[in-house]
Amino acid sequence: MFDFLKQYYPVFVEGTAQTIIISIIGILIGILLGLIFVMMRLSKIKVLSYIARVYIAIVRGTPAMIQVMLIYYTLSKVLEVPQIQFLGSGLDRVIPGSIALGINSGAYTAEIFRSGIISIPKGQTEAGLSLGLSDRTTMFSIVLPQAVRNILPALGNEFISLVKESSVLFYIGVQEVTAQALGVGGTLYDFVPPLIVAALIYFVLTFILSQLMQLLEKKMGRKYLQSN
Amino acid sequence: MSAEEKIIEVDNLKKSFGENIVLKDISFNVKKSEKVVLIGPSGGGKSTLLRCLNRLEDDYEGKVLFEGENVNGASKEKLRVLRQKMGMVFQQFNLFPHKTVLENITFSPIKLKLEAPKIAVAHAHELLKQVGLSEKAAAYPQSLSGGQQQRVAIARALAMRPEVMLFDEPTSALDPEMVGDVLDVMEGLAKDGMTMIIVTHEMSFAQNIADKVLFMNDGMIADSGTAEYIFKKTNNTRTRAFLSKVM
Repeated sequence: MFDFLKQYYPVFVEGTAQTIIISIIGILIGILLGLIFVMMRLSKIKVLSYIARVYIAIVRGTPAMIQVMLIYYTLSKVLEVPQIQFLGSGLDRVIPGSIALGINSGAYTAEIFRSGIISIPKGQTEAGLSLGLSDRTTMFSIVLPQAVRNILPALGNEFISLVKESSVLFYIGVQEVTAQALGVGGTLYDFVPPLIVAALIYFVLTFILSQLMQLLEKKMGRKYLQSN
Repeated sequence: MSAEEKIIEVDNLKKSFGENIVLKDISFNVKKSEKVVLIGPSGGGKSTLLRCLNRLEDDYEGKVLFEGENVNGASKEKLRVLRQKMGMVFQQFNLFPHKTVLENITFSPIKLKLEAPKIAVAHAHELLKQVGLSEKAAAYPQSLSGGQQQRVAIARALAMRPEVMLFDEPTSALDPEMVGDVLDVMEGLAKDGMTMIIVTHEMSFAQNIADKVLFMNDGMIADSGTAEYIFKKTNNTRTRAFLSKVM
């Protein structure tokens, strides 16, 4: 059933590499946007808070596939990306695609950060301020490190779903795992075996990712619980 | 009346949360090395008053002067400098759980570049000795008892070398057997000449330590005077009613 792999495994390797790369870029952009938008969302400046709310509402309320296509077609008009081939796809597709993943993930990440920040007692902020620390230092050195520890499980979920959702970049012609599997399926006139291979690849990737997140959780948790 | 003697001046302070007026018209002074204790029923505005002094409560009317500088008119940068000189100890300790005891104490002085790390660490060890917790430097707050945490919180505030210490019900969240250790540390500070403003329900402690007692009721200073006066002599019926209930 999987004899085709002898011939087509390089295609799957290439697709897997592409999936990993667009996922990593998407996660990084998502974290960055999440941080920016959560600060805006919690800002006392009403306009900033409003912009963040609108962004989050739009991203959460529309399908990822449409977001990706909209961003791709818009960016391809305004951005001049050279048509360099990268792991079987044009950079003019890979770059807008990963940005779109990041923009999508950023909204969810912002909300996860927000849940973490509001879970930290107000007394922590007050203690920081009473010591003469700035708002920024109090947020980044006192509140956020504790918040991040509390939200690691939720962040892990978000990263895992981003890896799986990256398959929507198939619609704009990025040759990630799903696209490659469908390509192979078309050549073989049989879609089931290559799709099973693709599913296994996603499973392995997300499994590794969840193990990494658990390691991180343990590492950050152990520090807290250590007694003298 | 020399201006440099008064370290804190509060004039006609008014504070409300929406419709709810919490502080109606508060005026008092604190002199250097003076121990001022705020007592009174819950909801009387004691903690709010204390929090107005370093502007953890904002948007109030009236004037708060610290060493002659206007606290409520201060810019953000200026306010931070003023706060560094006013150490605060909270009911809930508010230690940073992700930092060790030592890091809790040294974080601010180092971050604000007030002291070189080596000096800040040495100072922290001195302070830990002072509060009787030398052996806990490497521990995380969760592994300490409430009384120990509060003593670390006092050390953390002292690490900024403050001019004044503000105590917001420092023993109210503690198990009874822990209260004594914390009060001992505070008495030590008082003996060393620290200026202290203390909100507390520990009446015998208040009586021992206070140079001046402010009895707060319903957003006003209903009665004030020496500890001797408030606890023994006053004719104020509300003060007497309150004291008879809590003592």
